[in-house]
Amino acid sequence: MSDTLEAVRETLPMPLVQLSMQQAINRALGEILDADDRALVFGEDVGVLGGVFRVTDGLQARFGAHRVFDTPLAESGILGTAIGLAMAGFHPIPEVQFDGFAYPAVNQIITQLARMNYRSRGTLPMPVTLRVPSFGGIRAPEHHGESLESLFAHVPGLKVVSPSSPQQAYHLLKHAASMPDPVIFMEPKARYWNKAGVNLADNVVGAGSASLEGSVVVRPGKHATLIAWGAMVSRCLQVAELAAEDGIELEVLDLRWLKPIDEAALAASVSRTRRAIVVHEGPHTAGLGAEVAALVSQSCFDVLRAPVERVTGFDVPYPSGDLEDEYIPNIDRILFGVQRVLEYRRG
Amino acid sequence: MAEISFPLPDLGEGLLEATVLEWLVAVGDQVERNQPFVEVETTKSSVELPSPIAGIVLTLHGEPGDVVLVDTPLITFRVADDSAGIVGTVPQEAAPKRRVRLSAVLDED
Repeated sequence: MSDTLEAVRETLPMPLVQLSMQQAINRALGEILDADDRALVFGEDVGVLGGVFRVTDGLQARFGAHRVFDTPLAESGILGTAIGLAMAGFHPIPEVQFDGFAYPAVNQIITQLARMNYRSRGTLPMPVTLRVPSFGGIRAPEHHGESLESLFAHVPGLKVVSPSSPQQAYHLLKHAASMPDPVIFMEPKARYWNKAGVNLADNVVGAGSASLEGSVVVRPGKHATLIAWGAMVSRCLQVAELAAEDGIELEVLDLRWLKPIDEAALAASVSRTRRAIVVHEGPHTAGLGAEVAALVSQSCFDVLRAPVERVTGFDVPYPSGDLEDEYIPNIDRILFGVQRVLEYRRG
Repeated sequence: MAEISFPLPDLGEGLLEATVLEWLVAVGDQVERNQPFVEVETTKSSVELPSPIAGIVLTLHGEPGDVVLVDTPLITFRVADDSAGIVGTVPQEAAPKRRVRLSAVLDED
């Protein structure tokens, strides 16, 4: 009888919980620590303070200072510690406080973390999930807003993912932490405070996908596909809403996984819409948009009605807060990109 | 609302404690980031400490004349859940504005 009740309960939709992305990540971290004794959370100010964005709020009080702890201000040491702990069988979830502070850790990430599994012929896997508050949009000073996705995506042995919503953040973090490989988890700072409904059921990941791998179409459309990740997804959804007023139906593809990229989802979307615009905050040259454009051109060459357009940051150092609005792709720049693709004619 | 406590930092190199000279804020006050909130005296100097965040003062841990140990709570704030982190601001959600309109002749075939 109780089995039957349990079966019925499992088929009922779980109510949505309204959470901000910081709360969703906090909740996911708590569940990971609860379920996995070998999981550890550490970084600058993540313990006593609860993180500069409150993402690790309350975790040290709940799980103890031996599982959630503060580190010195030394990112290379944070990553070195994570690598050693992973070799000893732990599942570290370190935090680099800001994307701009990841540079001192890049040596550890590239020369050790990314290749330890390869170097050891599979005997020393690195189940490390590195959380990096990423991208711009919060008027932060220099070194507190960067787009490092193409840097990390270029390194063999790393996986890179960026959630665009509380729902995605909650499920993707739990999924990333369950992986045997190192994952760079890029949290869009600009979206930390936006609340949205989160379905906490493990078998529901929402946004039109039955999987936590790959990309998701977050808005269907037929005239062109906007491809984005992180904070640019919500901006592209705004653009799609405005374009609809002009009679243009834009599809929005949330790439989610930036390494590996979901080539099948890109091909499926753009072969329907036949036009593609990729939008990112990182600089233009050798940005991840170039990789996306190459993949789309290869898979959709025969049906493409225009070259893939890139709407990106500029080839300048990521500016501090005052100049952010000039740098990060805004609604008009994305609409211009859409217009260029729509009016392109062959010959 | 969340409560955030700040411990007394080591104000020199290897100092163990400081004496509260004067609170510059009271319980219930709204304090801005970088606003001095207390003057303390160590064996080396007396110094005003700036608040690392904006918030409402919930608790002052000690009276003037009391000795506070390094790494023990000095002040506790109440902050809104959607308050900014220690760096940066919370993006303001405005209605999307645009100047560009799309004008496409779609020759679908």
